[in-house]
Amino acid sequence: MKIRNWKNPIVWLVMLLVSGCVEPYFPEVLESPSSFLVVNGFLNANGRTSIQLLRSQNLNDTEAPPAEESATVVVESESGERYGLHEIGYGTYMHPNLQLRTDMKYRLYIRTKSGQEYASDYVEVKPAPAIDNVHWKAVNGEVKVYVNTHDANNNTHYYKWEYEQTWQFRTAFYSVFRYENEEVVQRTPSDSPIYICWKSENSTTIEVGSSVKLNEDRINDYNILSIPYNSEKVSMKNSILIKQYALTREAFEYLELLKKNTESIGTLFDPLPSQLTSNIRSLSNPNETVIGYMTATTMSTKRIFVDSRDLPRDWRLYNPTCELDTVMNGMLKERFEGGSLVPVDAIYGMSPDPIGYTAALRPCVDCTMQGTNVKPAFWE
Amino acid sequence: MTHFYRALLLVLLCCMTLTVPVHAQQRNESPLISGSFRNMTFQDFVQRLETRLPYKFYYEQAVADSLMVNLEVEGEPLNQALSQILKGTDYKFAITEQRQVFITRQNPIMTNLPSNFFKDDEEAKRNSQMATPAYLPQQQDNKKRIQSEIKLYEIGTPNGSKTGKANLAGTLRDANTGEPIIGAHIYIESPSIGTASDQYGYYSLSLPVGRHELNIRAVGLKNTKRQVILHSDGKLDIEVEEDIRSLKEVLVEAEKDRNVTGLQMGMERLDIRTIRQVPTAFGETDILRVVLTLPGVKSVGEGATGMNVRGGSTDQNLILLNDATIYNPSHLFGFFSAFNPDVIKSVELYKSAVPARYGGRLSSVLEVTSREGNKKQFSGTGGIGLLTSRLTLEGPIIKDKTSILVGGRSTYSDWLLKKIPNKSFSNSEASFYDVNTHISHEINEKNSLYLTGYMSKDRFKLAADTLYRFQNQNASLKWKHNFHNKLYSVVTGTYSHYGYDISNEENAANASKMDFGISQTGMQIDFNYFPDSKHTLDFGASAIRYEVNPGSLVPNHAESLIKADKLQQEKAIESALYLSDRYDINQNLSISAGLRYSFFTALGQRDVLQYAPGMPKTLNTIVDTVSYGSGKSIATYHGPEFRLSARYVLSGNSSVKVSFNRLRQYVHMLSNTATMAPTDTWKLSDSNIKPQVGDQVAVGYYRNLRANTIEFSAEAYYKWMQDFLDYRSGASIIMNHHIETDVANAEGKAYGVELMLKKATGKLNGWVSYTYSRTMVRLDDPAVSEVINRGEWYASNFDKPHDLTMISNYRFSQRFSTSVNFTYSTGRPITLPLGKYYDGASHRILYSDRNQYRIPDYYRVDLALNIEGNHKIAKLAHSSWTVAVYNLTGRKNPYSVYFKSQKGQIRGYKMSIFGHPIPTITYNFKF
Repeated sequence: MKIRNWKNPIVWLVMLLVSGCVEPYFPEVLESPSSFLVVNGFLNANGRTSIQLLRSQNLNDTEAPPAEESATVVVESESGERYGLHEIGYGTYMHPNLQLRTDMKYRLYIRTKSGQEYASDYVEVKPAPAIDNVHWKAVNGEVKVYVNTHDANNNTHYYKWEYEQTWQFRTAFYSVFRYENEEVVQRTPSDSPIYICWKSENSTTIEVGSSVKLNEDRINDYNILSIPYNSEKVSMKNSILIKQYALTREAFEYLELLKKNTESIGTLFDPLPSQLTSNIRSLSNPNETVIGYMTATTMSTKRIFVDSRDLPRDWRLYNPTCELDTVMNGMLKERFEGGSLVPVDAIYGMSPDPIGYTAALRPCVDCTMQGTNVKPAFWE
Repeated sequence: MTHFYRALLLVLLCCMTLTVPVHAQQRNESPLISGSFRNMTFQDFVQRLETRLPYKFYYEQAVADSLMVNLEVEGEPLNQALSQILKGTDYKFAITEQRQVFITRQNPIMTNLPSNFFKDDEEAKRNSQMATPAYLPQQQDNKKRIQSEIKLYEIGTPNGSKTGKANLAGTLRDANTGEPIIGAHIYIESPSIGTASDQYGYYSLSLPVGRHELNIRAVGLKNTKRQVILHSDGKLDIEVEEDIRSLKEVLVEAEKDRNVTGLQMGMERLDIRTIRQVPTAFGETDILRVVLTLPGVKSVGEGATGMNVRGGSTDQNLILLNDATIYNPSHLFGFFSAFNPDVIKSVELYKSAVPARYGGRLSSVLEVTSREGNKKQFSGTGGIGLLTSRLTLEGPIIKDKTSILVGGRSTYSDWLLKKIPNKSFSNSEASFYDVNTHISHEINEKNSLYLTGYMSKDRFKLAADTLYRFQNQNASLKWKHNFHNKLYSVVTGTYSHYGYDISNEENAANASKMDFGISQTGMQIDFNYFPDSKHTLDFGASAIRYEVNPGSLVPNHAESLIKADKLQQEKAIESALYLSDRYDINQNLSISAGLRYSFFTALGQRDVLQYAPGMPKTLNTIVDTVSYGSGKSIATYHGPEFRLSARYVLSGNSSVKVSFNRLRQYVHMLSNTATMAPTDTWKLSDSNIKPQVGDQVAVGYYRNLRANTIEFSAEAYYKWMQDFLDYRSGASIIMNHHIETDVANAEGKAYGVELMLKKATGKLNGWVSYTYSRTMVRLDDPAVSEVINRGEWYASNFDKPHDLTMISNYRFSQRFSTSVNFTYSTGRPITLPLGKYYDGASHRILYSDRNQYRIPDYYRVDLALNIEGNHKIAKLAHSSWTVAVYNLTGRKNPYSVYFKSQKGQIRGYKMSIFGHPIPTITYNFKF
């Protein structure tokens, strides 16, 4: 909370009166009684299907989630067709090009290395309609991205979205020189570029929407994400790839509940967390908890770009800042050796040759420390 | 001033006599008297003596009226003759050397000063200090009061009968305002017969014919008494003066021995004076917050006014304001209660042994009574606080007959919110107001009319896009008719409405407005009959018609794509008949037995879904839809409700009470949060939702210590609840056309022990209470719903086993007092995350069994200082300042604990609402 008006006593009074406090809280370590099977992914009715099998872990466990390896994973149809998935590492099982029929129901069958058997309910295949458009608006200091879609056949009603953001960023300083073999030399076009790079991030929230309350099967301006004006993500150019899936009503309810339980914003009116019931069950022990919800759908995608030049002029966009140091000629080896400090530009005295160099820490100069300098194929 | 010195001297003398032998003066030489005095009044007797003897008699008129002289003497000394006449009465006589005869009550006049009188010894000093009145109200009033206290009231017509019983009834009123006094204790000491005035200030006593001294005690009023001679049935209205020393008059002083001798158990009565002394978060007197300090009453957290009484949920409390039901008793997220403290007279809470007159809710009845207004002169009260201000005006329309009271309260929190440099606050709005009116009119001695109205409106907007509004509207009209001394009736008509709407305008395509409303119109007739001193009968009938609009959704913008939707209206009639008798079998044993029979009929017009029998109600088990025409009965429920209680007095200062009661509840609140949020909706029972039934047995032990100044009570109870509503996981409450698929009839039980120690008087006063209680829920029938926690009993959301509360006041002087409150309770249960897992995009949480763990314990200390203006009666306005600090230690009591996934990481947070010491200052005035 930023206080602009320090001298106003009323502000202090009100803060004292009204501000509730939110503090981090971690109760006595709650040991999970066992490690439950977690099933991630969905049955892609038209393309690559990948299913990941993990195990749940304790809340304060910082290790990567343990993977369920060497399991048998099969997609089965009601009529007995079977499509095996092969393990590609870290608990991930893949079918390169699954083709499922929309008039048939399918399930996922799993047998772990230890011989435990699990299967999901048979689920219907719901193809996702195409995305009509994705657009953004600058509202209240945020870039808000909206999705619009509809199903002319009035069949879909429940939607789920994921997105992948890729954004361009630059470092604080453009370095003209590099230090190599105890010498400072001018960079050439053949040197790999380190001023502008790209970063990528997947969505981490559950984004679901439904049109059941509307007269037509249409999603109007679903606000899928918001980026604050001072984020690096909109400092140059950002590209967002939206992925859209169709859900059954049960899957939608499961995800809504999951979202409520784990993303609720801690207001006075929060509903109580509730137990989730998966559609995947252990065949040997029906009371065993299994996490995940299997759906069969297709994926439709759409990409947009947000260019910082189109943002409102009065927004003070993110500008990387760093400290600049100077290294005089006698100190070059001592300071630049090891590569944590990088020369930026030359300092000239009375002579035509530089008497020293300005320098900055590597992350202030080299964008590859945080991203990739390989321009993505889709970049415009 | 002569009066003053005379009074002082008299008191002094009376005190002195305690230290000397009572019959010392009778050693004096007495003249001898002879003669036959038959059936002669004392007055005549004295006249005859005075003509014969050089003695002068001094006595109160009361003596003359009540004494009959029957004496046959021959040469008896005067002192022996007088002894004979006064034998068996509590009159004493004294004969001075100056040949004066004083007849006094209780203590004889001492005719000689004790030998040590002029010595400066400790005894005399102490006595003289005791005798100096600590405070003397204005002479005029004092005189008037003393006059009415010694005046002998003759009731009825003398018909020669000296035995038998007669009825005495009347109304107790405040001498200054003419308002009736509720809950005052009226009693005679020998034999011990007493009663309490009812909500109209009415009392009715059956007393033996003859002379009595009636004692009257009430909260905040001066103790007073009346001398009566009762010949036959009659009326006596009594005016009692207010004790202006409100600081001295502390907590519940009335009915000092009600704790032990009253039949009622599990009942608490709070007077507004008591309530005012408890510090609150925003400096405003808050009735519900004080009720929450009573044993057995809890809330889920701070800022929530919804209360849980003995393990019941927040919708199981019947909250009545002048007999009209209040559905949402809170303002501003529950930080303020809906009741304006200036308008309220008293609050009664029944936790067990609910009188048969009340019904319709499972756990408790909270009856809030507003003041009638001053019948004698115009006056006003008000207060200015940091967030709210209030003003109440009252006065007579026709003096002593009709009075009006109008009170209003409003907040200005809105502009304060705007000042906060935080987006989510400054874009928020929050405001409320409420208005109370009360008109009372005495048509004649036998008929009175009372008209009350209440309206409140709340409006708040959180983070700019969603606007919530809710309102209460209540009205009641009462007609009280006295048939005769022993029978009166009250006919009451009530109307209550609660409604809210939520409008969302963030996005044109989704702009919508949703609203909800419940209305009830009720008619009730109650009779109170006092056939004799052993029985008190209450009987009557009531009917309530409910109309509920469970929700409608309409588009709020021309471009909105929202489909207008409306849930079907619900209608029902709830009616009841009741009869109860309080029977005082003997001095020690009293019982009260009541029966209430309630009927409920859900009415059309509606289409009702039918579900496959023996299957949980889900969308997949719907088998049919049945249409019911307008006014057609959809479902009918009825059943008896037993109300039994008994008291046995073990000794003069201790008693045992037991009670059993059954209650039925036909309306249910639906809420997917643990608090009473304004988005809660109410649902009537129908063919798919059964009524709730609750049974409670309670046993209590009561003991008064130190001459009734300390009360101790211990109560234990066990409660069974059937068919109360719990939710299935992820239930959706709002705009649900088939709510029965998201809720389930759960089974509940609650039990506990409540201990309370209360010191009502003295410089230091207050109470300490400790409660151990549990409340458990079970959902184990797969045919009803999903099974929660494998069908085992689990703690309900408001199960807080240990609870310790201390409310204390210390009075430094008449004008300066301080209060300290202390509260400790076990944290409420929550469902904790046990583990985490990665779902391919983010870490997510795996939750424990429902309500398996608890949030940290709750602990809070509050401090308040009350500074009163001077106590001159004749001045423009009486004012007082209250300076308080809420949560003195600044403990960050968690209101809620939650875990959320942020940037792929799981973080736990605890939120406290009042995490700092909160200082407040309030200015109150009265004119």
